Amino acid sequence: MGIAIIGGGVAGITAALDLADSGFKVYLIEKNAELGGKMAELAECKTGLSPKIVEIENHPNIELLLSSELESLSGSAGEFKLNVSGNEIEAESVVLAPGYDVFDEIPKSYAIANPDVVTSLEFEGMLRSATASETGELLRPSDGKRVKKIGFIQCIGSRCQENEICSTACCAYTAKEAWEVKERYPDMDVCVFYMDIRVFGKDEELAAELKDKYGVKYIRSRVPEVIPENGALSVKFENLEKGTIDKLDLDMVVLAVGLLPSKTLSRLAEITGVKTDKYGYIETSITNPLETNVEGLFACGTATAPMKVRESVAQASGAALKAALLSERTEMIPGQEERKYVEAGEEPKIGVFICGCEGEVRDCVDIPAVAERVSQLKDGVFVNSETNTMEEAMEAIESGIVDQGLNRIVFAGYTPRKYEDTVRDRCAKAGLNPYLMEMVNLREQCAWVHEPKEATESAAGLIAMAVERARYLEEIPVERYPVIPKALVIGGGVSGMNAALGIADAGYEVYLVEKEPELGGSLREEIGLQSGEKSSDVLTEFVDKVSSNERINVYTNAKVEDVTGRAGSFKAKIAGEGANEDIDFGACIIATGTDESVPEGYYGYGKDKNVVTQPEFGKMLGGTLSANTVVMIQDVGPDGGVNPKYGSIELMNNVLKAKEKNPDLNVFVLYQDIKTYGKWEVLYKEAREKGVIFLRYDKDKPPKYEDGIVSVHDVILNDEIQIKPDLLVLSTPAMPAEENERLSKMFKIPLKNGFFLEAQERPKMKLTPVDTVNEGVFICGSAVYPALIDECIAMSSAAASRACVLLAKDFLETPAVTSVVDELICSGCGVCVDMCPVEAIELTEEPVPVVTFGVATVIGGTKRIAKVNDGCMGCGSCASYCPSGAMSLKHFRDKQVYAQLDYAV
Amino acid sequence: MSEKKLAYYPGCPSATTAIEQDMSTKAVFEKLGIELSEMEDWNCCGAAEAEDPILVYALNARNLAIAEKDGLDIVTPCSICYYNLARTDKALREDEGLRAEMKDIDSSLEYKGTIKPKHILDVLVNEIGMDELSGKVEKKVNVKVAPYYGCYIGRPSETAFDDPDDPDLMDRLIELIGGENVQFSSMKTKCCGGPLMMTREDIAFEMARKVLESAKNAGADCIALACPLCGMMLDAKQPDIEKKLDIKVEMPVVYISQLLGLALGIAPGKLGLNKNVVSTKEILGKVI
Amino acid sequence: MIKTWELDANFRNEIMNEPGGEHLSACFQCSTCTIGCPIAEIVPSYNPRKIIQMSLLGMREDVLSNPDLWICAICQTCTARCPQDVRISDLLAAIRRIAEKEEEAGKLKVDSVRPLFEKAFLHQLEKYGRLFDMGLAMEYYKGKEGGSFIKGQLAMMKDFKDFGMRMFKKGKMGPKAMFPEKVKKKEEIEKIFEKVGEKEK
Repeated sequence: MGIAIIGGGVAGITAALDLADSGFKVYLIEKNAELGGKMAELAECKTGLSPKIVEIENHPNIELLLSSELESLSGSAGEFKLNVSGNEIEAESVVLAPGYDVFDEIPKSYAIANPDVVTSLEFEGMLRSATASETGELLRPSDGKRVKKIGFIQCIGSRCQENEICSTACCAYTAKEAWEVKERYPDMDVCVFYMDIRVFGKDEELAAELKDKYGVKYIRSRVPEVIPENGALSVKFENLEKGTIDKLDLDMVVLAVGLLPSKTLSRLAEITGVKTDKYGYIETSITNPLETNVEGLFACGTATAPMKVRESVAQASGAALKAALLSERTEMIPGQEERKYVEAGEEPKIGVFICGCEGEVRDCVDIPAVAERVSQLKDGVFVNSETNTMEEAMEAIESGIVDQGLNRIVFAGYTPRKYEDTVRDRCAKAGLNPYLMEMVNLREQCAWVHEPKEATESAAGLIAMAVERARYLEEIPVERYPVIPKALVIGGGVSGMNAALGIADAGYEVYLVEKEPELGGSLREEIGLQSGEKSSDVLTEFVDKVSSNERINVYTNAKVEDVTGRAGSFKAKIAGEGANEDIDFGACIIATGTDESVPEGYYGYGKDKNVVTQPEFGKMLGGTLSANTVVMIQDVGPDGGVNPKYGSIELMNNVLKAKEKNPDLNVFVLYQDIKTYGKWEVLYKEAREKGVIFLRYDKDKPPKYEDGIVSVHDVILNDEIQIKPDLLVLSTPAMPAEENERLSKMFKIPLKNGFFLEAQERPKMKLTPVDTVNEGVFICGSAVYPALIDECIAMSSAAASRACVLLAKDFLETPAVTSVVDELICSGCGVCVDMCPVEAIELTEEPVPVVTFGVATVIGGTKRIAKVNDGCMGCGSCASYCPSGAMSLKHFRDKQVYAQLDYAV
Repeated sequence: MSEKKLAYYPGCPSATTAIEQDMSTKAVFEKLGIELSEMEDWNCCGAAEAEDPILVYALNARNLAIAEKDGLDIVTPCSICYYNLARTDKALREDEGLRAEMKDIDSSLEYKGTIKPKHILDVLVNEIGMDELSGKVEKKVNVKVAPYYGCYIGRPSETAFDDPDDPDLMDRLIELIGGENVQFSSMKTKCCGGPLMMTREDIAFEMARKVLESAKNAGADCIALACPLCGMMLDAKQPDIEKKLDIKVEMPVVYISQLLGLALGIAPGKLGLNKNVVSTKEILGKVI
Repeated sequence: MIKTWELDANFRNEIMNEPGGEHLSACFQCSTCTIGCPIAEIVPSYNPRKIIQMSLLGMREDVLSNPDLWICAICQTCTARCPQDVRISDLLAAIRRIAEKEEEAGKLKVDSVRPLFEKAFLHQLEKYGRLFDMGLAMEYYKGKEGGSFIKGQLAMMKDFKDFGMRMFKKGKMGPKAMFPEKVKKKEEIEKIFEKVGEKEK
């Protein structure tokens, strides 16, 4: 059987690859004729998503059903029967990832018929074509004039009567678009009209940078109309400072439209019996964010709530793991099959494959002309210029190797950054050592940046250079080592426990290490969760499951030390009270969570007993509340942490509980932005309805607290407001766990603001939210960014899923492109040792044979020489700095590089 | 339209300031073969001046109940009357308590919600329909028109029957009769200032000026509208506005029923085209 | 400087208990109402958003004595666009009624002639069941001129001389218009005013 995934957007793709790569049979069902979903429409994202689509198309474990829809579902978990556009499929579990649709009932007051008013998705398309155009300029659709002033209007179809909730993603994608505009066109006037800027983490930094560095004007107004007037688009907004309604003339307006559940979702729910919530999203719970009401059916991504790509991808990985637990592995994992390489031989027989790249290269580069010139290179090369897609090209290469006996391959077309592994793998499959292949990027480096004539010229040159280099390519032995089917999880909070459970349920042994005497992390604090559950109940459930799981070894009061090794084969020591154990493991998950901040000195905290933090107030709500007037201040210090994603939600949650206890309680909330993203928006509304007063202060004019009186300049009323509270509640940042610093060094994963950094930083791509630069080490939960329990659970399931993909393999390959030392030349100066970023080089004393006049004479004695260890990751720093030329990087030997350069000059 | 008979709610200005709207409405429906039966003993809807919703509901419950007795849907040519009738209809349909409250005030206020109040524009375009109307058009009214909708046609949403920002029912009628709609979309639904005419003339005149001058700048031969308060403001008060603000617009203002009547071949006199304050002579010259 | 402890925290409830004022607390101060308001375009001080925030805070006196309360044209643009369904047109009407009651109780002086006009209008309705333009004008102007019938007539003549002639010529204000049109079942109308009036109290 296998696992069915419904929806071929970024979530479906992620889930499919995680599962297929772990050896599960996957049916990927997409209603459109192509994979990619909404994400493929985004300017930046299409490029990032395409390699994954290629991977799916070529994956032996994935059966792709395009232009197909689920028509019926019967059976139960473990034995579902699906009818997909007439095809019968059997699956043990199903992942629902139907995605979202954008709000399409935009009021006509926004002049939507005007060509210069576009939605954010349309704008992505414009940015893409601007990049591809001759001048690269952003031109006004109506008259082709250069856009000089552009305005983004947020919350179109969100936080309104038609769609009560916040769409979560728009603030960030608008910031990204504004950033892209400013990066490319620094002179352009950019303004963003917003109600609350709901961005977190890196997006929060980006928004701040946009305001401070890029000069983007963020204007607080929900602009209700766009008036085309005298060739411009006129928008009005409220100037709160001056108390006037001001007008701004713009050349273009981008409407940041909200997200709605996919239009297919209601039918999908009907067919599958999955419950939807009152907004039309698949109903999940805060402690089971990936599970639907039907056993064996899992949901992920924007089908459960509006969210960003990063969160969708995390949920998708997590849902994949959950689905996998009900299924049986039946398939071979690609790359794990035995491979035999044909002796390549000294005489290069070079094949050049020039791909049209679905027209992207063919339309700009004169491929026949290039092929003609390449075929005239010395010693003769075989040229194929017929292919137009990645798949066609791969087949041509395979046949070239197998049928024509080619032993050096030059592939010209797509970018190596994304496709090198795919092409190498195909060569290996065909029996050619994968390092006898060289790539030329004709798309980004020719077609996208040159006029046709220059592009053709440049393509011919680049290919010829690659051919010259290919002549000198050497076989690099591919070595395999076994994967240790065990995982280490650091941090025993909800994220760590959930990750450990996921991996253990998948059948692997887990070491769970917690520094505190007990498991639980922040859940140990007795608080009411946003869902109404008590933290203690949730905690007990997790702890019970963890302690009764035979595959999980729990170490409390313990820490991890001395980590060595690489993905699939790590070693470390668990040190702590009573424990001192050497362990080995194939994968590691870091889930250290956060530390609570103590706002010592802020608003008299620590001295005045009536000043408490939000979590402290939450605990007070367990008892009686005697206060009459409570003032809450958001975004209070101390420095050194980050604003947690749940800040406003925690506040609303506490406010509502307090109002429930004492309906006459006066509550004033002093805020800069209310960030009740997604469905949490309803808490904000409820708080207003319960009579909570919201006063907005400016970052530069924080509230004051003196002699029992809070004074705040409310920008909404543009007046000073004074309140006499009985209790002052401070919302403070979340601090990174203290041990992050040490773990960061040990695992070589960079930190930012004390939190762990994902493998791919914003604003480019975010398809690997739990992966790190250190392969085999994953991060999740509040160790990455302090988030709500549902997100921590989804993310830790994702980390477990990614770890399982690794652990499912029997063996991995050692990195082949590493540095080597010519011991005869090495002078033992040690420059390389200092240069190496991963400490993989050491100096050793070796006996030295000396050759004199052709007669070998062994002189007793030793010489200091450099030795490259297992940790080498092939960055080449040592090779470039070695003063004697003793150090070189395989695959980038001097003769290879010089051959390439010689042709160019 | 299946129903050939409607209850007619003329509204208070029908006998005086908006007599031409009353005349043309009756003439048009007669020509279309639909009987308008004036409601027996109707009362004022409360206009914009009754600000207490309960009073509005009571006044209009009485009117609704009168039509309900005859089992007829109501048509009214006035936007404010329509709004008051429609919101009362909606409130009473949805709220049983409110129905009881009405009945409690007087038995004549007992309304069950079996009929519907409608605006003339809604009836003409959506009930009678463009097909039927086009079959009856006899003449081409070759004028450039600024279609002015004002309030209550597209908003508020619960009683609206056209788009709140870019309504087009009147535009479609104007096209049908051979007229041309000028660029007027930013003004179509702006308030004319009517409700402030007696209490803040300065503001009201300024609001009306914007509408009048926009129509003029757009090159309109006339403004078409469907509300007697707008008619009062933009037509009857136009000379006062010109004098007070020292401007010259001389913009004919006609009811859509008058324009439609011309296309249906009804004599101008029967449509009250001599009753409009700003002369409509030039329009008549363009009927062919 | 606003001292919250001096404000009337119950004001919001007072408004929300008035028909039309129920949705006050849904407001999240987005400015939609004020940005699109045709009155705010003409009268810069006019800001319904601010009136709402002041009401929420409990600035009862400032709100009720604000002359801008009386210049809303009830065009419903704000109501139609409000993302939180605050129904601002109805809300302002509710606040106006509170102000009128305050004035009737002698606690406040309303800075507008609008209550006079509305009362005169409703008075016609109460008497005749329909609007009697002439009667309305006479009563309104009398009120405007401090209750003096003569002064009122003179003021009215001054304001409406041209208009009256114009309408007369067009046959819209002929002799017929000198007399009110009356609903026959007068008692039904009287009952409405009587009972609704009781409810108001």
